Amino acid sequence: MLEGIFDKIKREEVMKKILLIVGVLFFLLAGCAAKEEETTGWYENFKKQQQMQEMEAGQMQEMAAEQGHMEAGQMQEMAAEHSHGEAGQMQEMAAEHGHGEVKVTKHFDESLTKLTDNNLYSLELVVPDKYLKMGVNTVEIIVHHATGGDVPQAELTVTPWMPSMGHGVMQKPVITERGGGLYSVDNVVLSMTGHWQLQVKVAKDDKEDAAVFDFPEVKAMGHQHAMMHAPPPEDLDFSTMKMTANEAFHVTYQSIGGQIRINRIHSWELTIKDAAGEPVNDATVTVVGDMPEHGHGLPTEPEVSTMGVGGFYRIDGMKFTMPGWWVVTISIMINGVHDSVSFNLNIL
Amino acid sequence: MRKLILGVIGPSMVVSFLLAIVCIIDPGETLAMDQHSWNNQEKAILRSLWLGSLDPLPVDPSNKYSDNPKAAALGRKFFFEDHFSGNMKVSCATCHREDYFFTDNLPLSHGMDTTPRRSMPLIGVAYNSWFFWDGRTDSLWAQALGPIENKLEHGISRTMSAYIISKYYSKEYEELFGSLPDFMEDAFPHHARPALDDPDALKAWVLMTPEQRGEVNKVYVNMGKSIAAFVRTIIPQPAPFDRYVEQILAGETITSRMALTDDEVAGLRLFIGKAKCTNCHNGPMFTNSDFHNLGLPQRGKGGPDMGRAAAITEVLRSEFNCLSKYSDAHPNDCLELRFIDTSDKKYVGAFKTPTLRSVTERPPYMHAGQFATLREVLEFYRSQADNPELGHKGLTDKELDQLEAFLHTLSSPVSSLQAEVK
Repeated sequence: MLEGIFDKIKREEVMKKILLIVGVLFFLLAGCAAKEEETTGWYENFKKQQQMQEMEAGQMQEMAAEQGHMEAGQMQEMAAEHSHGEAGQMQEMAAEHGHGEVKVTKHFDESLTKLTDNNLYSLELVVPDKYLKMGVNTVEIIVHHATGGDVPQAELTVTPWMPSMGHGVMQKPVITERGGGLYSVDNVVLSMTGHWQLQVKVAKDDKEDAAVFDFPEVKAMGHQHAMMHAPPPEDLDFSTMKMTANEAFHVTYQSIGGQIRINRIHSWELTIKDAAGEPVNDATVTVVGDMPEHGHGLPTEPEVSTMGVGGFYRIDGMKFTMPGWWVVTISIMINGVHDSVSFNLNIL
Repeated sequence: MRKLILGVIGPSMVVSFLLAIVCIIDPGETLAMDQHSWNNQEKAILRSLWLGSLDPLPVDPSNKYSDNPKAAALGRKFFFEDHFSGNMKVSCATCHREDYFFTDNLPLSHGMDTTPRRSMPLIGVAYNSWFFWDGRTDSLWAQALGPIENKLEHGISRTMSAYIISKYYSKEYEELFGSLPDFMEDAFPHHARPALDDPDALKAWVLMTPEQRGEVNKVYVNMGKSIAAFVRTIIPQPAPFDRYVEQILAGETITSRMALTDDEVAGLRLFIGKAKCTNCHNGPMFTNSDFHNLGLPQRGKGGPDMGRAAAITEVLRSEFNCLSKYSDAHPNDCLELRFIDTSDKKYVGAFKTPTLRSVTERPPYMHAGQFATLREVLEFYRSQADNPELGHKGLTDKELDQLEAFLHTLSSPVSSLQAEVK
């Protein structure tokens, strides 16, 4: 009995160490590979990591033992060969492809692809929830050269557009480059149901090109729709004071009457200041609440009113009826400047 | 490498040794206590569900009589009065039985005829923001008036109600609300109401003078406000679950004294954790008073039940809502109505989360009595893996047993006002 516990703990500790060693080795390997050839980048790492995780513990041990015998140099060589091979293959494959059609190797099975208007790039769009919904969305875009290979350090612009209405939205999507041609696009706010387009512009080295992704039927992800859960990121920022996405405004919120209580209609006080710290009065402010894990908004329609001084605004009619992760997006528009900020809340 | 392994074995030996000592000193008890140990976050959730956290009855600004004991006593009489019905046999208590936790045991309730939905449990109903399964009224007094004129429920009219009140309750009524007009003198038609499903009653209503209609409405509204004053007093008493939370918050450590069994505690742990029941069943009344479509099978007569989606315009245009002239509220106090979510597509087929207090004592379940037992409800939830509102997938049979065991610990007697007026 006692022996059993002993063995188990010993095994677990050893496994942890081995995993750590493997992790460090892997990190080195990945780092070298990235230096050698940019196109492997994040995606190869991602795939390998996945494979590693899927491996049985036993296999892992064997592998670790084998790797332990190897010299670090050997491994680097191997990694370099591997990535070269891969890149070569990709280029070959791409060369075979004609114009007009997207035939680059997709990184994700369920992504959408589009060739840009002047055939410069092929874009791969990944919608994590499989389809866009009314409210706040996050998508990922991988920019490939039309001839193959990923395109890092490009300048991306993403514009949600409603063709039938001839308008977009006030909220500007926030683009973050993740390396190796992957860009994540947060804060894609679709303000209503219906036909939407995502217009994507790519600019790199004075070459600009664009493509349009079409979503004929964006639905309100209401209570009756089945949709994917979006679990909260681990490093969620719960601060109540933030800069807007494009750093035009500084926004602070505070719940009037102290801690927010579930199932209670309550009010918020907003303070909006510009980048220079001057209060912003009389802006048009809208508020959208969303529960990413469930895909529905607030159970109320809040109202925003300006106090006219000090950059103070009041939001009445806030209500949260489910515990957990909520995202409240505040959009601000004044003198032609649009910007927005999303606050994370954990409702108990 | 060898050094490394030794370094690993060293501390793990110490740990195992300590573990072994603990096991020798305290066999059994530690393991059993583990089940009753909750971290701070879990304790916060337990406290939020505890009846001790229940706020005082919320003020209903639209009903100035809501905390008037005399109004409540009169409302209690109205509640049990079967004269308020087309066949003189149906009262509020027909479908909200006092001996059955103020609901009934039928899948679809039966007043004058069979209704399309189940009778709503009235335990702690005053804590809701919206009333009826679809929330088509925003106050308890407006809710109380709905069934009176519903053909399938009480099947009478507001003029008839005023007539009955002036005949049997004039003294008590006048003490509270002032003098009654003389309804006895055939000045008013007995069956007049503004309803599209009864052309005769509608015609009679339209032919009355505006003053007459106002007088009848006033009596009718006061009737609703009295009933609401009584129904507000129907609140749960502490259940075994509440006693358990008290023990946990007080730091009780002796397992044998715990108010819940191991299975019940395991169920509670699932309820607030893996099974995600507190997504909707939260707070001391175990409801968020919001509307959700669970994908339940349709039941009852007629077309598909649109639920909340159809009720949004109904409550907004209701002659008896919080902003109406019959409400005692200042318009600023009508928060729920003012900020109502009008995106009706979101609420197609959505119904209000009911309380779980004493839930095991009052089958059948769901808004149209779709399930006869709680087990069927739990099985259904588990089967709805794709519904993000539910997310109960991956529960084992044993875990369903434990959840069911836990739900039994929410049973407690209901306290309600006893009639004070003879």
